[in-house]
Formats: sequence, C-alpha cells, structure tokens
Amino acid sequence: MSKFFAQTGSDSEYESDIEEELEEVQDTNAGGAARYLPGASDSDDEDLRKRVVQPAKDKRFEEMVNTAEQMKNAIKINDWVSLQENFDKINKQLEKVMRITEAVKAPILYIKTLVMLEDFLNQTLANKEAKKKMSPSNSKALNSMRQRLKKNNKLYEDEINKYRESPETEEVKESEDGDTDDDGDEEEEDDFEEDVNVEAESEEEEDSNKGDPSWEKMLSKKDKLMEKLYNKDPKEITWEWVNQKFKEIVAARGKKGTARSELVDQLTHLTRIAKTPAQKLEILFSVISAQFDVNPGLSGHMPINVWKKCVNNMLTILDILVKYDNIVVDDTVEPDENETSKPEDYDGKIRVWGNLVAFVERIDTEFFKSLQSIDPHTREYVERLRDEPMFLALAQNIQDYFERSGDYKAAAKVALRRVELVYYKPQQVYDAMRKLAELVVEEEEDSEEPKEETGPPSSFIVVPEVVPRKPTFPESSRAMMDVLVSLIYKYGDERTKARAMLCDIYHHALVDNFATARDLLLMSHLQDNVQHMDISTQILFNRSMAQLGLCAFRVGMITEAHSCLSELYSGQRVRELLAQGVSQSRYHEKTPEQERLERRRQMPYHMHINLELLEAVHLICAMLLEVPNMAANSHDARRKVISKNFRRLLEVSERQAFTAPPENVRDHVMAATRALTKGDFQKAFEVLNSLDVWKLLKNRETVLGMVKDRIKEEALRTYLFTYSASYESLSLDHLAKMFDISENQVHSIVSKMMISEELHANWDQPTRCIVFHDVQHNRLQTLAFQLTEKLAVLAESNERAMEAKTGGGGLDLSSRRRDNNQDYAGGAGGGKWQDNNMAYSQGRQGYNGGARSGYGGNRSYGHGGQTREWSGQNRGTGGYGGRGGTGNRGMQMDGTSRMVSLNRGVRG
Amino acid sequence: MIEKRKKDLPHRLQNSISAVFRQSSADRLYIPLISGRDREIATMAESKENYDLTPRVAPNLDRHLVFPILEFLQERQLYPDEQILKFKIELLNKTNMVDYAMDIHKSLYHTEEAPPDMMERRGEVVARLKSLEEAAAPLVTFLLNPNAVQELRADKQYNLQMLKERYQIGPDQIEALYQYAKFQFECGNYSGAADYLYQYRTLCSNLERSLSALWGKLASEILMQNWDIALEELNRLKEIIDSKSFASPLNQVQNRIWLMHWGLYIFFNHDNGRTQIIDLFNQDKYLNAIQTSAPHLLRYLATAFIVNKRRRPQLKEFIKVIQQEHYSYKDPIVEFLACVFVNYDFDGAQKKMKECEEVIVNDPFLGKRVEDGNFSTVPLRDEFLENARLFIFETYCRIHQRIDMGVLAEKLNLNYEEAERWIVNLIRTSKLDAKIDSESGTVIMEPTQPNVHEQLINHTKALSGRTYKLVTQLLEHTQGQAAR
Repeated sequence: MSKFFAQTGSDSEYESDIEEELEEVQDTNAGGAARYLPGASDSDDEDLRKRVVQPAKDKRFEEMVNTAEQMKNAIKINDWVSLQENFDKINKQLEKVMRITEAVKAPILYIKTLVMLEDFLNQTLANKEAKKKMSPSNSKALNSMRQRLKKNNKLYEDEINKYRESPETEEVKESEDGDTDDDGDEEEEDDFEEDVNVEAESEEEEDSNKGDPSWEKMLSKKDKLMEKLYNKDPKEITWEWVNQKFKEIVAARGKKGTARSELVDQLTHLTRIAKTPAQKLEILFSVISAQFDVNPGLSGHMPINVWKKCVNNMLTILDILVKYDNIVVDDTVEPDENETSKPEDYDGKIRVWGNLVAFVERIDTEFFKSLQSIDPHTREYVERLRDEPMFLALAQNIQDYFERSGDYKAAAKVALRRVELVYYKPQQVYDAMRKLAELVVEEEEDSEEPKEETGPPSSFIVVPEVVPRKPTFPESSRAMMDVLVSLIYKYGDERTKARAMLCDIYHHALVDNFATARDLLLMSHLQDNVQHMDISTQILFNRSMAQLGLCAFRVGMITEAHSCLSELYSGQRVRELLAQGVSQSRYHEKTPEQERLERRRQMPYHMHINLELLEAVHLICAMLLEVPNMAANSHDARRKVISKNFRRLLEVSERQAFTAPPENVRDHVMAATRALTKGDFQKAFEVLNSLDVWKLLKNRETVLGMVKDRIKEEALRTYLFTYSASYESLSLDHLAKMFDISENQVHSIVSKMMISEELHANWDQPTRCIVFHDVQHNRLQTLAFQLTEKLAVLAESNERAMEAKTGGGGLDLSSRRRDNNQDYAGGAGGGKWQDNNMAYSQGRQGYNGGARSGYGGNRSYGHGGQTREWSGQNRGTGGYGGRGGTGNRGMQMDGTSRMVSLNRGVRG
Repeated sequence: MIEKRKKDLPHRLQNSISAVFRQSSADRLYIPLISGRDREIATMAESKENYDLTPRVAPNLDRHLVFPILEFLQERQLYPDEQILKFKIELLNKTNMVDYAMDIHKSLYHTEEAPPDMMERRGEVVARLKSLEEAAAPLVTFLLNPNAVQELRADKQYNLQMLKERYQIGPDQIEALYQYAKFQFECGNYSGAADYLYQYRTLCSNLERSLSALWGKLASEILMQNWDIALEELNRLKEIIDSKSFASPLNQVQNRIWLMHWGLYIFFNHDNGRTQIIDLFNQDKYLNAIQTSAPHLLRYLATAFIVNKRRRPQLKEFIKVIQQEHYSYKDPIVEFLACVFVNYDFDGAQKKMKECEEVIVNDPFLGKRVEDGNFSTVPLRDEFLENARLFIFETYCRIHQRIDMGVLAEKLNLNYEEAERWIVNLIRTSKLDAKIDSESGTVIMEPTQPNVHEQLINHTKALSGRTYKLVTQLLEHTQGQAAR
C-alpha cells in the first residue's frame, strides 16, 4: 500500500475511486485483471503487468510508431512532401490513441517525433543553400510545415520543453510506453528497456522513499495515459500544467466518442491536483456541468449516485467559497485567462465563472425528475425521498452564503427551492423529515470518519468541511416557511414571489389557517394574473386552490369550500389540472409530444392531493348548498343553480331505474342527497360516514361532527322550504326534536330565514311557534320579480362594461352598492380589497363570481345576495334566456379561461 | 401594479410595520412608541382579561399621547400603581420632561433623591434648550413682533425672500425653529410647540418636514384638548395623506393608521365626533387599513355605529366587515353586533351587552367621565346601552308576531312597567307598528308583509338612477376624450 499511497493525504475517496477503477478493469479484461489488485505490488507482478497486451490499443500505437518511422526516413532524404503527409497522419493517429487511452497527455512517442521534426526543420531553415536547391513542391511543403509545426508545437510546448530538458527520464518513460505498447517490436529495444526498467525501479524505490507517488500504478493500457496524469510527480504539477489539462478535457466535452462519465472522472482527478483554490473551484464547476451531462435527453433523470456526487461537489465548492472569501463566483463577466492562478492569499477579488443558483436549481430539478419517474410503490422511491435532506442542506448553505455575500436575489431563488420542498408537508411529515435528516447525517458521519484519515496523495488544496452537511430545521414547518417566504417577498422577482405566495397559501391551508390563506390569495390578486404565468405555476395555483377548498371544508366553511373547488370540477379534468395523472379526453387525441410534455409536469406521488377526498369534499359541499336551494325553488328548478356539476350528477343518478348500493364517492354523495331531500338527516350522515376517505383527515372526528351539524341544519332548512306551505304553525320544540338541534340553534336558523325573507313567517313568542303567512306570489308577480332581477343584472353588466372601458376609476362601486336597496350580503364582503379598485372588481368577474361572493359574506341569506350569486352562476351557464347579454358572456369566458389556458398550454 | 399589490400583504405587513417605525422614527418628530415597552405592556395586559387595548393602541401613538391613557388606567386601578409609574418613567426617559420623571421616581420609590442620571439628563436638557433657543432667537423675536409679522403675506416665496433680506433669517434659522418647537414639545410645553409649529409651517418649504410639523401640531392640540382646532388639523393631515404620493403604499397605510389612532382622542371628545369617526373610518381606504393592520379599531367604529343613529344605513356594510374579521379580532362590542345581526342570538346579545358596559367604562377613549355633583357618570355608556337595547328590540320585533311583555322586559333589562312605558312610547312616536294586549300581557305586531307592488318598485327604483349616472359618466368620458 505504502508504495501506492506513499503520501498519506486526508481524503480516502481517492482510494475508493481507484478501487472502483480496478474493478472496472477487472470486468473488462477478466483475464489478467486479478493481478492488479492493489495488494499485489511485488516487482514480479509489475513485470508481468507491463507485458499485458491489449490488441486494439496496441494497433493504434503500432500505427503511430510506423508513421514515426516513416517520418524518420523522410527526414533522412529531406522529403518534405511526405513529411507533411506523415505529419497529418500522425496527428490523426494521435487523436485516436488519445481517445482510446483516455489520456490527456500526448504519448512521448509523439512528442519525440515532434522534437525531431522541429530540430530538423530548424536545421533545414538554417541551411539556406539546401533550401534553394529544393524542388518547388518540396519547398512549398517545407513552408507550410514550418507554420503548422509552430502552431502544433505550441500545444505541446510543456512536454517538448520537458523532453528537451530531461530527455532521459522521458526516454525512460517513453521506452516504458514502448515496452508495453509494442511488445514484440524490436529485440534490441526490448533489451534496452529491460535495463531501463531496472533503473526505473530503483528510481521508483527512491521516489517512494521520498514520498512521491509512483508511476507504478499503471493498470492497463486503457488507463495508462490517465495514470500518467494521475501519477504526475506532484512537484512537476504546476498551475499551467493543470490549467492546460483542464482545457484539453473540457474541449473534449461534447465531442463524439467522449464518454461522459469518464470525463467526469478525469475532471474529478484534476480537482485534486489543482494548484490554487480558485482553480479547484473552476474545475469543480466543470465537474458539475459534466455530471449534469451524464444523462442525455430531457426525459430521463440523472443517475442517483451521480446526483449525490454532484451535491457533494457543490458542498465542496461552498467550502472553498466560504474559506476563501476573496473568491467571487460570477457569470456575467468573462474572467481573465489567468484569474485562477492567483494564490489563495491573493488580496483582492478572484473572479471565477459560474452560477451557483443555476446549479442548485438544476440539482433540484433532477431530484424532482427522478421522483417523477421512479415507481412510487417501490422501495427505491422511498430511498430516493430520503435524499431530500441532503439537498435541503445544500440549498440552505447556498442560501446562507448568498445572504452573507449580500446577493439577496439569488438567495431568494434558492429559498424558493427550499419552500417548494417543504410547503406540501404537514407537520407530521415535516417532523419525520427532521428526524431523518439527523439520522442520515449521523450515519454518514460514522461512515465518513475513517475515510478522512487516508486520502488522495495529491490533493493540494485541502478544504476542510466548513459548511455544515446537515440541514437545520426550525421546530415547525410554519416557522420555516415564514422565514423563507418573507425573504422571498422582500427580494424575489415576480415569478419567484408568485410561486412563494402560492406555496405559502397552500401551507397555510394545510395547517387550517383558512383566513390567512384566503387573505393572501385575494390580496395578491393571483387569481387575475395566474393565467399569464407558466404552466407549472398554474398547476401550483390549482393545487393551492384545491388545498384551500379542503381547508375551508375542515374548518366548516362550506360555501367557501365549494367556491374554491367548483371550478376544478367544472370540467372533467381534475387530474390534468392538478398534474396528478393524465385524464383521457374523449374529443381530443393528444399527440405523443403533448403527452410527453404533460408527463414532464406530473407531480411526484408523495405530493399528491388525494383526489377521492377532494371529490368527496366538493360533492358534499355542493350537496349542502344545493339541496335546500332546490327545495326553495322547487317551482322553478332551472333557475339559480349553484353547482352545475352536482345537478348533472344528480340527474344521472335519478334517471337510473334501480339504485344499487353506493360504491364510489359519487354514489355515496348521491345516496346522501336522496336522503337529505327527504329530510332524513340521519341516513344522509350514515352514508357519508361510511366513506373511506375520512381516514385521510387528521381531525376526523371534528370534521365529521361538523358535517353532521351542517347536514342537520340543511335538513331543517330543506324541510321548512318544502313543507312550510302545508303548515299553519310549527312549534319550536317539535322542530328541535325532529332534527336533533338545540332550540337556540333552531331559533337562530329560522330567524335568519325570516330576516332574509326566505321564509314568510313570524315567531309567536308566548307559544314558541312559527306562524306561517301565505304569501305565495301568483304567476304574474313571480315573473315580474324575475324581470326586475334581470334588469338589475343588466344594469350591473352595463356598469361593468363601462368600468372596463374607463379603467374603473369612474364608478364608485361601493357607494352605489349602498344606495342600492338590495342587500348585497354576498357581494360586498371584500371591502378590504376595494382599495385596489380596478383589480378587485376584475377579480370579481374573473375568477368566479361564486367564489368571490362566497368569500364575502360568510353565509349570505340576503335575498339580493343570493340572486347575486346565482346570477353569477347563471351567466356561467349562458343558456338561460340570454340573461346578461354579450358583455356578461365575455366576462364569463374570461372567468373560465384560466383553467382552460392550462389546456391551451398543453396543446400549444 | 403587481408590485404595489404585493406590498399590501396583510401579514407581511405586520412584520414590516415595526420596520417602518424604526425607519421613520429617526427623522420623525413625533415618535410612536418603540417595541420594547410594548412587550411589557402586552404582558401586563395578558395578566388581566379586561379587553384593554392599550398595548395595541400605544405603539401607534406618540409618547406624549400615551400619558392620558396611563393616567386613565391609573385612575381605574386596572393595574398596580407601581407598574404604571414605572412605565411612566420609562416613557419619560425618552422625552425631556425630566422634572416630571423625577417626581414620579420619588413617589414610586418613596425617596427624596432623584437618581444621578436623571439629574445629569436634566442638565443636558437645559443646556440643549438654551442652545436651541439661541439658534431660533432671531426668528422668534421676529415672530413676537406683531408689526413685523404683519409684513408676512400669503406668498411663501415672498416671505422667505423678505425674511432673508430684511431680517437675515435664512433656512438655518427656520430649521432651528423647527428643532426648537420639537424640543418644546418634548419638554411638555405643548402650547409653545403648537405656536411655533404653526409659524414654522407657514415658512417651511420642505414637504416632509411640513408633514412632520403637522403631526406635531396635531399632537400638541390634542394634548391641550383644543378639540376644534385638533379636528381641523386632523382633516388637514388626512388630505395630505390621501393626496400625497407616498413612497410606498405601505407607508401610506401606516400613516392612515396613525391618523386614526390619534383621531380617537378627538372623536370621542368632540361634539360631532361620533359622526366624524364613522365618516373617516368607514371610508374604504381607511377600512382597508383597519382590516389589514389595526383590527382593534373596529371596537371604536362599532361603538360609534351603535350610538349614532344617523349613520344607520352604513351599518349593514359594517356588519359584513365584522363577519370577515371575526377571526382576527374579537371584542364584546363587536360580538354584540354579530349576535344581533348575524346569529339572531338575543340571549347572547344580552350577555354581551353587560360585557360591553365594562369594556366601555375601562376604555380610555370611551369611558370618559363626567362629574355631576357627587355622581360621576360615563355618558357614552348610557347612550350605548340605550341604543343597544333598541337594536335588540327592533330586530326582535321584526321576526315576531306576538311577544310576551315579561320576556321583552327581561330582554331589555327593564322591569315590566318600564318596558310597557317604553313600548308605548315607541308606538306613540310611530316607531313601532304594534299594539299592546294587556289582557294577555303581550305585544302584537302588525303583520308587515310588504306589498308586492311596493317590493317591485323598491327593486327597480335604483335602476333609473344608476342608468342616469352611467350615461353621465359615459358622456363625461367621451367628452374628456374628445377634448383631448
């Protein structure tokens, strides 16, 4: 071992790398590889090793040697024309050889030839008479040769100089090459080499005593040139040398036949021998870029081990940046050629080209992609999820670094990435992640400890791990979100802010902060703008809306929940809107291209919102709103539809001749609806209670309790609407008993209905009865009322049209609302947001009339309020007797266009 | 546009408000309280559940304006005397009223010795006063000379010119006047400060400074209890705030909130204040500000709505606001309204009414006492209760056909005879369409089914007005475009 790793460094990765390589070799040439295990370092073995022949590579070398021979001959006869030809040939062969051996350094043979050529050229040029005597073609070739050689030699200046300085050692090595390459080339040479070998060995012994790495480590022909790179005497390694190698390797990137992963390995090695921190940094950047390249194409994801290495590299970069704070990473200015040669104690800024944010984002994207494509039901998926803390640690560190260096804009971008990993996690999941993070790091520390002891011999720049490898999490996910989003709101750009806002809303909704989430949504006016944003943001918006709906339901705000969810369910495309699977459309065949695009947008499984729960919540909300509504307007059922979707489902289920026991969510809700219509609240609740999805709720009992209460309440209302005509009076006690509600509540509910004139009745206080008045309007009167309502809608739409034209400043909406003797219980609630007059009113038309009025008054019983809501809905249907006119229609189109635009995006 | 809106974020707002404080306090004359003290007040409020808003109100006030509140609290014995005295000293430490601070210190610790740092500070204050006085002297003497002052004209430019040429009074002196006034204010000499600030404003050309001076003037007038003048100043400030293009909407909101808080002193003392407060607070812009960052102001607005009959039509709007904000602010007065108008829970409303009474008595703004011989009454409380009762009764009658007088009396917190008298009065003044059946002891409401025709007319009445408005606006718009 000591021979191999004479210099005890501090990094053991190198060792393992070599081991890996060795294993690779073992795989490729199963025959002789066993010998190259690091333990076998006897000189016998070395001899044997040198004699291993690999035909394909040999052939190339042989060709090269032949060409060199031919050139020698040409020199002898002063034939520049053939020299020129051979020169071309040897260059081509050089390329092949280099490619095959993966070397970064030209073989000595080639250098030797170059030196020989150069010497001869100079000699010829000096000899003017001889030059004159040359044939025209010959002298022409000479001239061109002169220029080309000059150019060519510049590339290999170092080697040539080195060769010139110490032809012997080079000779030795070269002969070494020769030895292994052209095994049976010439007897003489072989003998000579044997001698040299002995010499070399003795030299090597000395070297290793001195603590230099030996060149003995050559493994096979394939690796040999690489090895030369690896085994370069550390003393000889200069900044220029490394820089040059680096450039060579980078130049090879993207060329045909350059194996991407090998490029990474080469560069990784270079990082170890980099001379200055800046250079190391520069090379590390290239390593990461190369790692990104390992997987071609957009569809696949980066191999996971490469991803991990990539993260580690990023951390190393950070280590360097933190340790040497005079190094600045920048991607705007092209830095000076020799910028990286500046030593670490250089005072002043060293600029290195690179973009940390882009790297972090790319790493995150790769993580996301891998989760997208791994089957979520496998262990692999879980394993992959466990890598998340690793990325969070990286992102956190980078963000810290940016904050320290004052680049808050970049910090905000990184913060967004962190937000997007956290926002969908409920507190329990978050806690689990925190625990995992600690566990993982402990494990890693355990396994890393020994590695640190030994290390690569030649890592010049040893960077201690200054940056913590462990993410730190605040106690609650909310706290973390708060810190991150406030940073983003302060410094982020538009898109970052919008996304952070949506994540914030989502998270607030997740922890049942409905009011805060709603305020954020309304104040940010995201509803109005979201259709102009990119698709992934739109998806995020849809997700937030869905979560907001669920949240509203959990806290018992049925109207709000319904307004949030109704639009998601207005088409049959929930899956598509939430990016949780592809919905099959009957009418549009998707092209493969579209499908691919859509697949790329899919949410990883662990981020999904449960669709069954969502559907259940939506339908239950619709049921609670729609059943009493239908009862109230039994004579005119087509008017005042709250949920079209629900009505349609109900129709379908009513058309069935036999009703089977409920199977899916929809059947359950329909069964409950049937029961509720009859006022049988108990059965309705039982049916709903039997749904499986409730187990997904964390506060299941309270939510079910709420559902039960609401069902009772709506059953009472439905009952009153339906049967009030048949009663002269109804006693409070009886009602309370019938619906199992406390008398106070019954009183309150009935009072509300009286005040809002839904129920034409009065209390008779001494007898505790409701006394009904018969005030049925006759047909003419009903029609007259309908007419006035339409007129009001018409007037309003006119005003809105006007407003849109004049820019909203003209009409004082709120004051008009006050003059208006209609009670806009539902409509005006957004007083808070009227400051932003224009946008507010747009929002009102825009997102969906129902949603906003729902937001407004919690439950609007005002007559006017309801018509308002309904009129909004009716406009949506667009089918009822041309109500509203074109202006309205247009607005409604606007309203739904957001969801549609997603689709447009899909197709476009 | 978007950026502007983003800044309106409510909850981010909370964080940034404190930032605004710190920013503006440097150059602002009249500094709102700083958070350290707040926290202490907050802890003191938490210990007692008495709906005391001081901790929430105080940060929006000037130091000096907090004194009346503390005085009130001391009088009501809501907190231990010692605590209040300590706060007072702390308050005073940042002002120049050192003598006062020393007095309090003495009474707090029962010593005759003032602490040396206070003595030291006293010296400093006196010295600074002297130097400022000197700096401002030329202008002050000028202003004291009535003949000279008469030379001033309405034209500010001219005045400046004139002062410079004839009296060698330049911007430096004017600036000194401002500093001097500020110092006077901090020393507690409010009338002096008010005078100087008034003069300063006539001469000042710097908008920012002028605004600052206006705030100072307002504070001085409030502290001197010149409510009429204060109201004028308030309106002036309001105009400036509404018209001035502030650097950020956030700043503007902040200014509005300050204005509303300061206005509380005026509104509940001025004769016409209760209408004014509704007019101010209920404007959309101000309502927004309340909702976003100072929901506790809803208490005062709610109270004003209850006691003020003239603004009844706006009440419905306000109820909606209350419903919307119920998650962020709760208060017996607000809850009372919710009980009556949202839940129709009359028993609850009655309970709340009792709580309201206590709240009003303990509120520094609402619970103003009037000494009447040996009695001290809180006029607002009586008024509030009367009106609240009426609210309950009105709504109650709307949904009932027959009410037992006994129950009604109970609900109204009156005895049977009083209730009967009260109702008879209502019927006589034709506020109530009902009859009393004394045999069964019930009130019978006349059925109030609105006529169908009436309803129809009601529904359509507004339409023509709206259409007219629309047409005129359209015309204006087109004319405006044509003119362009």
